[in-house]
Amino acid sequence: MKQQAGAAALSPANGMTRGNRWKPAALKTALMLAPFVVFGLFLLFHNVNPVTLYISMIQSTFGDLYGFGEVLLKATPFILTGLAAALPAKAGLVNVGGEGQLAIGALFSTWFAVFYLDAMPAALGIPLMLLAGALGGGLWAAVTALLKVKGGLNETITSLLLNYVAAFTVGFFVHGLLKDPNSFNWPFSPEIASSLRLPVVNGTRLHVGILLALVLAAVTWYVLARTRLGFRIRVIGSNRFAAERAGFRINRTYFWVLVAGGMLAGIAGMIEIAGIEGRLRASTGVNYGYLGFLAAMMAWNHPLRIVLTGFILGMISVAGNTLEIASGLPASSVHILMGLVLFFILGSGRRSS
Amino acid sequence: MMIADILTGAIRSGTSVMLASQGELISERAGVINLGTEGSMLCGALGGFAVTVWTGNPWLGVLAGGIAGMLISAIHAFLVLACGANQLATGLTIMFFGMGVTSFLGRGFVSEQIVGFNPVPIPFLSDIPFIGGILFNHDPLTYLAILFVPCLWYVLFRTRLGIVLRATGERQEVLFASGINPKLVRYLAVLAGGFLAGVGGVQLSVAFTHSWVENMTQGRGVVAVALVIFASWMPARAMLGAYLFGAAQALQLTVQQQGLPISPFFLFMVPYLLTLAALLIVERKQRSLMPESLGKVFAGDGAR
Amino acid sequence: MNHTRKAFRTTLMLGVLALSMLVSACSQPGAAPSPSGAAEGGEAAAPGTGGSAIGFIFVGTKDDHGYNQAAYIGSEAVEQAFPDMKVLRSENVPETAEAERVMEQMIKNGAKIIFPTSYGHLEPSLNVAKRHPDVAFFHQGGLKTADNLGTYFGTIWEPNYLAGVTAAQMSKTGKLGFIVSVPIPQVLLNVNAFQLGAQSVNPDATTSVVFTGSWCDPGQQANAANSLIDAGADVLGQHQDCTKTVIETAERRGVMSVGYHTDASALAPEGWLTGSVWNWSDLFVDMTRTAIDGSFKGSIYDGKYRGMLKDDVVQLTDFGASVPEDVRTYVLEQKQAIIDGTLHPFAGPVKDQEGNVKIEEGAEPDAEELEATDYLVEGVIGSIPK
Repeated sequence: MKQQAGAAALSPANGMTRGNRWKPAALKTALMLAPFVVFGLFLLFHNVNPVTLYISMIQSTFGDLYGFGEVLLKATPFILTGLAAALPAKAGLVNVGGEGQLAIGALFSTWFAVFYLDAMPAALGIPLMLLAGALGGGLWAAVTALLKVKGGLNETITSLLLNYVAAFTVGFFVHGLLKDPNSFNWPFSPEIASSLRLPVVNGTRLHVGILLALVLAAVTWYVLARTRLGFRIRVIGSNRFAAERAGFRINRTYFWVLVAGGMLAGIAGMIEIAGIEGRLRASTGVNYGYLGFLAAMMAWNHPLRIVLTGFILGMISVAGNTLEIASGLPASSVHILMGLVLFFILGSGRRSS
Repeated sequence: MMIADILTGAIRSGTSVMLASQGELISERAGVINLGTEGSMLCGALGGFAVTVWTGNPWLGVLAGGIAGMLISAIHAFLVLACGANQLATGLTIMFFGMGVTSFLGRGFVSEQIVGFNPVPIPFLSDIPFIGGILFNHDPLTYLAILFVPCLWYVLFRTRLGIVLRATGERQEVLFASGINPKLVRYLAVLAGGFLAGVGGVQLSVAFTHSWVENMTQGRGVVAVALVIFASWMPARAMLGAYLFGAAQALQLTVQQQGLPISPFFLFMVPYLLTLAALLIVERKQRSLMPESLGKVFAGDGAR
Repeated sequence: MNHTRKAFRTTLMLGVLALSMLVSACSQPGAAPSPSGAAEGGEAAAPGTGGSAIGFIFVGTKDDHGYNQAAYIGSEAVEQAFPDMKVLRSENVPETAEAERVMEQMIKNGAKIIFPTSYGHLEPSLNVAKRHPDVAFFHQGGLKTADNLGTYFGTIWEPNYLAGVTAAQMSKTGKLGFIVSVPIPQVLLNVNAFQLGAQSVNPDATTSVVFTGSWCDPGQQANAANSLIDAGADVLGQHQDCTKTVIETAERRGVMSVGYHTDASALAPEGWLTGSVWNWSDLFVDMTRTAIDGSFKGSIYDGKYRGMLKDDVVQLTDFGASVPEDVRTYVLEQKQAIIDGTLHPFAGPVKDQEGNVKIEEGAEPDAEELEATDYLVEGVIGSIPK
């Protein structure tokens, strides 16, 4: 294709198509460290010692079980919404709707937990709640998928716009049909039954959700890398016209990878409710979908690498609080660090995964 | 009366989106989609507000805001055009980076007061019943923004510059033959787009609200990008779309004041649903109009 | 070669970004030194004693001319009153379980007293309080308490009633506008108080209420203000976290406004009438002292403390220049009556929009009852989602 021809023209030297192999490790490391150096300079200008900050960042992550648990807690939704972006990306689609899919997943799982599952034993209730979350996220993604397949609308734009609609939908429910009758009219759902809460590691807030995220990452990787289905998805993603000629049903694949991605994000929403929050609020999981998308980008949509990038983003998010409490810089400063990390990765010129 | 109020409100609240969409249109005509428009608008809103605070001159604010929007879009241009980075991912990163940078740098400005742009009724014209109040009672930046649209149309379709810009998005080979570097054109188009999005941000902060608050664009940049597709890459239609979005926002406020038992949360969704519906309606004819190299981005080539 | 080109590009990128950082460094916020190590408190210590720091968490930014600024000013008073203590602050803390981590980090940094200043921080605070019985929590606006967690708030509807009285006396059209965020009890209560105050001097006065769905979105606020003014409102009130945009928009359009949270009269020299504001400073200092002294338990602060107009926890600000003498005198008389207890803003009968009696004739509901308000009173135009 033209685009690839252009890419080759830009890197004529070695005639290697997979430009990453030969790149020396030193350059790679430099690329990883550069954003931290730039951000360090930035901190220096604001009278914050970056070395102290990075050390305290590492300390608060690996120093004790609580801190480590907190990072894993943060990483869990990032990994899942990252997968929600990565899976469609393998088919050449851009799903930025993880944000809304997570919200609707949280809405569905809370709805079912509150109205149908409250008397159920954990062994039955938790899996059903999980299904409800996946259903919610899947349905929301199905809107984007239908608009794509039947309406021909670009999924990037529609999934982004639907994020706003999803946020207002959650607002509508927590202010109305799903409002806790004992909340003195405050906008949140009733608390889900304690039997539906995910088991927690002692002394932390860490729950089994992270294990689920790891398993789903492994499954996604396996499906993509080792099955016929995964092969088809990758072919459609890398060469749509070849896939058409080979008789693959492209629209059908588009539809299902988007829905599957939505289900993964919906599960993230369920985990937020059953694992941490215990009830739905309008602000539950805000920005997690976008951060997950960025985690996927950092990992070049590789499902297993998303575990690592999700963890890094979790660390950076937690560091935001450390930064603010320790130095008075606003927590949002770490968004700058995140942006820098991504710029360097995106700019490193790798084109395919 | 009420209709006039809604239409006036549409122009007041839609102009920032309109400017950003004109900028995005230029960039997309040259074949580069920039989802970072939201980030450019935020940088423009803050840059314009800050300079207006420092100098007391809102026109310098417009300039500064435009430049701020342009600078952050320069990162997009560089990563996409020089490093071959994924356009959509880079754009989103710009959006987040813009949020982070502006919320950080803007902290000191939240409580600042400015003398920004104020409505200047145009003599005689503003006295025309109905239309006068809707069209001719706005701030100078809004007039300029509206006048910009026919100018852009003229440049795009009646000048050599316009031909070069459109050819960059359609058939680069032709350009090479005539000795023009398409990459340079794209750089300039993205920068111009960032500048206009920045000015859109200034309209929001210095003309419309006279305030700076972190993340104050609240998705307006994203809507601007969607509107360009809705508009089939035509300036006047992008303006129409932006004012439809503004009208939907004004309408939901008017409906609320009627005391009808409709949840405000449904009304908040209306502008976004309307944009989606509009996209669906125009989709049929747009394929042929889409700049060719943009089609590649959307077909997945650029998404990887 | 490809290699060097890439390295070159990377260097260039580094340079550009470093340069942009340099430019950004021009705006220089005050940076505080790094924290000292955590001080370990004894297990059996009274909550709030033995700490080296006091933590404040805010839901928004400190300069919002509003809710968070009011609480921030309180935190500054604490900082001045206890120079030996380090004050830790965290802004923009979301109202989710995320707040738990912020509080845990503050405790790690030596805080034994924590002020979570937004309603949504209550449940995270209760969770953290359970884990740290030696830390005292003062939660703003909460309706639940724990052994080491007390809540405080102010009856801000009292000055809001007076603002309504002022607004109705100054209004020429009798149409008042009120811009609010989301339909929670505190918000509805303020709208109701405003309308009841207006009604008390002009039975025909109405208050149009508009929801923006957000606590601080200047674009929506400006839309809402313009929309209300276009529909004929000539005094605007609000319940938003950041209040600047509405007040300035009203001023530019030549209509009057009443303020909320903090005194913003400087923003509207012509149209500012008065405002309902918080005065947290003395209360915060007193609460902190009580906890440091080890007498948290059994004090008035270990349950639900509600400061009233008479306690000076909530205030009516000075009047704007445009308010004539006779109006001032009348409003101040009403204020005195509230302080003396002879006037209760919500004295029955109070009817909702459908005409149902919500507060019976002769009843005078207390703060706790009012804080569960889920209706709008007669004369308010607008609807709340059911």
